[in-house]
Amino acid sequence: MLFLQSLISGLLTGGVYALAGIGMSLVFGVMNVSNFAHGDLMMLGMYMAYFVFTLLHIDPYISLVLVMPTAFLFGFALEKVFINRVIHHPHQNQILLTIGLGLIMSNSALLAFTSDPRILTTSYSSSSFNILRDVSVSVPLLLSFLITCVITATLYLFLAKSRTGMALRATSQNREAAQLMGINVSRMSAIAFGIGTALAATAGALIAPTYYIHPLAGHSFLLKAFTICVLGGLGSVVGATVGGLIIGVVESMSSTYISTDWKDVVVFVLFLAVLLFRPQGLFGKKGGQ
Amino acid sequence: MKKAVIPVLLLSVGLLVPLVIGDNPYITGILITVLMMATLASAWNILGGYAGQYSFGHAAYFGAGAYTTMIILSSSNSNPLVAMAAGVVVAGLIALVTGAIVFRLRGHYFGLASIAVAEIVRLVVLNLEFTGGAQGILLTDVKFYGLDLNSKNPFYYGMLIALVLTLGITALVRRSRTGYYLQAIREDQDAAASLGINLAYHKNKALLISAALTSVVGSLYAVYIRFIDTHAVLDLRLSIEIILTAIIGGVGTLWGPLFGALLLVPLAEILRSNLLGEALVSHGIVPEASVVGIFLKEHLAHAHVLVYGIITVLCILYLPKGILGLFRRNGK
Repeated sequence: MLFLQSLISGLLTGGVYALAGIGMSLVFGVMNVSNFAHGDLMMLGMYMAYFVFTLLHIDPYISLVLVMPTAFLFGFALEKVFINRVIHHPHQNQILLTIGLGLIMSNSALLAFTSDPRILTTSYSSSSFNILRDVSVSVPLLLSFLITCVITATLYLFLAKSRTGMALRATSQNREAAQLMGINVSRMSAIAFGIGTALAATAGALIAPTYYIHPLAGHSFLLKAFTICVLGGLGSVVGATVGGLIIGVVESMSSTYISTDWKDVVVFVLFLAVLLFRPQGLFGKKGGQ
Repeated sequence: MKKAVIPVLLLSVGLLVPLVIGDNPYITGILITVLMMATLASAWNILGGYAGQYSFGHAAYFGAGAYTTMIILSSSNSNPLVAMAAGVVVAGLIALVTGAIVFRLRGHYFGLASIAVAEIVRLVVLNLEFTGGAQGILLTDVKFYGLDLNSKNPFYYGMLIALVLTLGITALVRRSRTGYYLQAIREDQDAAASLGINLAYHKNKALLISAALTSVVGSLYAVYIRFIDTHAVLDLRLSIEIILTAIIGGVGTLWGPLFGALLLVPLAEILRSNLLGEALVSHGIVPEASVVGIFLKEHLAHAHVLVYGIITVLCILYLPKGILGLFRRNGK
């Protein structure tokens, strides 16, 4: 029963991790940029959900209607103003630029909202129901998971069927060839970064009811999102989805069977093991080098 | 001979400074931090600047030196130099493991893997018993050949020796066969490999030198502060501060990291101690009761990391070769 319990809570949390991972993977695929500000964008999503809830009294899950477009525009603008200018620079410059942007976001949040952690308590924050005698499912986690499924499915459809989605995938496969086919690749970069930001902020808003909201909360999620991307193969959306679920389950299993203190170590060791033995990720095709 | 003028001049300034400022622990403390960051950034520069391998996990080696030294000194009456040497060995071992994993990878993967290794080191230290866990380690008493270790001057000279050593090694390495191999690897790995350069061997060599020097600074820092915890010596923030110092000064140049430290450390100190905010208010430039005045007095002290972020962004966008890069067109 303990096994089933941690499997279920792992999968439910993993769904939200997957959302953050997909956002990062999409940015990586289309722009070939590792976004080190991703965790801080998640943190902004958490605060957005928090303030929409406390000031406008809108449920955090419904607030996504506001959070997603706002975050998309924010990401679109970030790309146009900053990221766009280092897209042909060496990787380390891109990493440092996004680290810098992340520091600006987290420390502005620290100045504006102070370092006191905030808690978003909804009427159903701590409610749960039993599916078997000893196996309970947390309502907010289940809701976030279901919303994640809807968003992921919509994103798949968008990438597979729409003209913009196809252009995004083309840019991801071969930037130069896509440009020669008349695709506006710099626009695609901005759209990809916008979607990436929206997904990060959505993941943040979805976990806001179950986590402490804190200006430096993004840090631990950043490393998790990277692990998910590498696990699934950098740039692969399907890979990131599966990677997120795997990380969620691994984390929950190691909390149950080893200890909560060591769960992050297990995740990072898994990360290095993937880099060592399968650097292209579980679903990547090309060589990781 | 002309080439030796600047180093000799800088060294004599470095040696004479404590005599000029006299007994001023505050200023000496800032200068020690300048020397420390300069040494750390220079040590990072051997790997990051000359070999082009940007490590985002150098805090692991700093922490290895600091923790090994503190564990040895707090449990026995050893000579600090022996503890420092033990730190170098531990840092070297971590570097060998790291090298075996990360040097098979390139680009994004290298940076990510170096962070993962450093985070594992941090979490392991945080969760083990004998490393003091979240409480850290406190050192009550330490003796070193009758020196007065309650004064800051011995540490000033200690850090100065570490800096001279690091810059000396950098100067030797960059004009050596290994140095040219490293620069060839930085410019084009595949071309370097096709010319018969053993990539993994030379990258590991650069990493080992860099890690050993970083660990020495970690040991000095631990004995100087006499208290360490994972937050102070193993945090990702430290790794990033080291890179920033090197970048702002000029990556892949001998003097760049020192310039970076001379600029960043006093700036951080001005912001942290809120000298700027207080000066603006007390000279009547900003009225004390106004919103800006209150903000400056209350919050500017917390803003130094924010300013680091802004400097990083501006530096990457407008000054990717650092301050020294402005003066050197042909990348000498």
